[in-house]
Amino acid sequence: MIETAVQSPNSMSQQVTDQGTHLPTVAPTEVPAFKVQNLSIWYGQKQAINDVTIDIPSKTITAIIGPSGCGKSTFLRCLNRMHELMPHTRVEGKVLFQGEDLYGAGVDPAAVRRRVGMVFQKSNPFPTMSIAENVTVGLKLNGLRKRSLLDERLEKSLRMAALWDEVKDDLKKPGMSLSGGQQQRLCIARAIAVEPEVVLMDEPASALDPIATMKIEELIGVLKSNYTIVIVTHNMQQASRVSDKTAFFYVGKLIEFNDTKTLFSQPKEKKTEDYITGRFG
Amino acid sequence: MVKSRHILHDFDAALDSLRADVLMMASLTDRNLQNAMTSLFDRDPQLCAITISDEQEINSLEKTVDQNGIDLLLRYQPVASDLRQVVSAMKLSSNLERIGDQAVKIARRSRNLSMEPELDEAGALGPMFMEATGLFRDSVRAYADGDVALARSLRVRDSEIDQMNLDIADNLTISMAKQPDRIRDYLNLLFIARHLERVGDHAKNIGEEAVYATAAEDIRHAGSSF
Repeated sequence: MIETAVQSPNSMSQQVTDQGTHLPTVAPTEVPAFKVQNLSIWYGQKQAINDVTIDIPSKTITAIIGPSGCGKSTFLRCLNRMHELMPHTRVEGKVLFQGEDLYGAGVDPAAVRRRVGMVFQKSNPFPTMSIAENVTVGLKLNGLRKRSLLDERLEKSLRMAALWDEVKDDLKKPGMSLSGGQQQRLCIARAIAVEPEVVLMDEPASALDPIATMKIEELIGVLKSNYTIVIVTHNMQQASRVSDKTAFFYVGKLIEFNDTKTLFSQPKEKKTEDYITGRFG
Repeated sequence: MVKSRHILHDFDAALDSLRADVLMMASLTDRNLQNAMTSLFDRDPQLCAITISDEQEINSLEKTVDQNGIDLLLRYQPVASDLRQVVSAMKLSSNLERIGDQAVKIARRSRNLSMEPELDEAGALGPMFMEATGLFRDSVRAYADGDVALARSLRVRDSEIDQMNLDIADNLTISMAKQPDRIRDYLNLLFIARHLERVGDHAKNIGEEAVYATAAEDIRHAGSSF
């Protein structure tokens, strides 16, 4: 059995041990996936996030919207400590993931990222790897070696990413040989192959054509039953189509967080109304 | 909320134009309603004909508002208050067109009545007409000004018009028993009262749309508390 962090909320500081079978999916719960309390983030002298408090519910799709530079991508990245890859970063406040402090002493950022996966704006399959290798690379790094298990997880992940039927006969072809939309779904398959609890998406469809975008949006809806999804998007129609909850950020502050339907029909804050109706500035 | 200008000036222009068409439609509907009732009280068949022919203009504007509303939705995908403004404008135009229909129906019945000896009971429709047109004008004012308090007050006034309709129907029924040879004419009066009652219903609907457009609140079928 794999004793990964996925199985135990207390294991982010533990080492992945060995090969195994299926990792359990997290049961739906009323407990928020993330409980963010008074979070502030600085890049050097520049404050990117300013005293944000928000509960992100489990097994839902939460969209983060806001103008460029409002801190939405920084906020997304702080949910799996990805922002720490930037130099001179400083964090204040708390981010509790399933009740556990992501920034607590002894918490291994790599273990966090195994439980909280990420899909980026630009598809980034590993250029030297085949389609199959791209999906299974994370599993291998986690210590899974058994061929049958790898094949099983490969097919499962590609099916969940709605890509299996298109690539099942070409698994050994380079990942880079796929179209842009397929590459992005391959990256989603790679992210979910290690069975994280959360998938963070940073404008996952912004570089895709409308049909590929719709496929990604359809996929996001399907993934909701198994994962908590947080998506940053500039496309407000996309946010209103795919998400259950929407958070509006402006100059590093959380201005409004509400059910998507409410936020796009009856926003409470004038700033939100001005932004979503195109009256900003 | 005080509205800032839209980044796309074309959007503001399109929305302003949509509202202007709706208000023009309201103005024409008001005129037709006035003409219909004047044709009844003045026994003027020519005015009846004018009322009937003028409905075309209202119908044409209804189609214009619908087309421009759909165009706005397609081109700009408005949300929040902008979306409510577009949807409300389209629903208003539908209610205005139906009020226009009621005006035509009143004109047709007035034309029939003008060919027969005058009935004293026709005068009883005067106060009901004043109430119905007053309610209609206030509903349009509530929409144009975003006056939520005025819009909320319309429901009670519509109920008063409903009661006037019932009272007039009772009195006309008594008159019919007294003059059975004029039943056809009394029925025309009774239906005119019914048409005015429908005008009140549509005015109430317009008030509800005004509340939705301005305050994002759906007060339809919400009982008498509003």
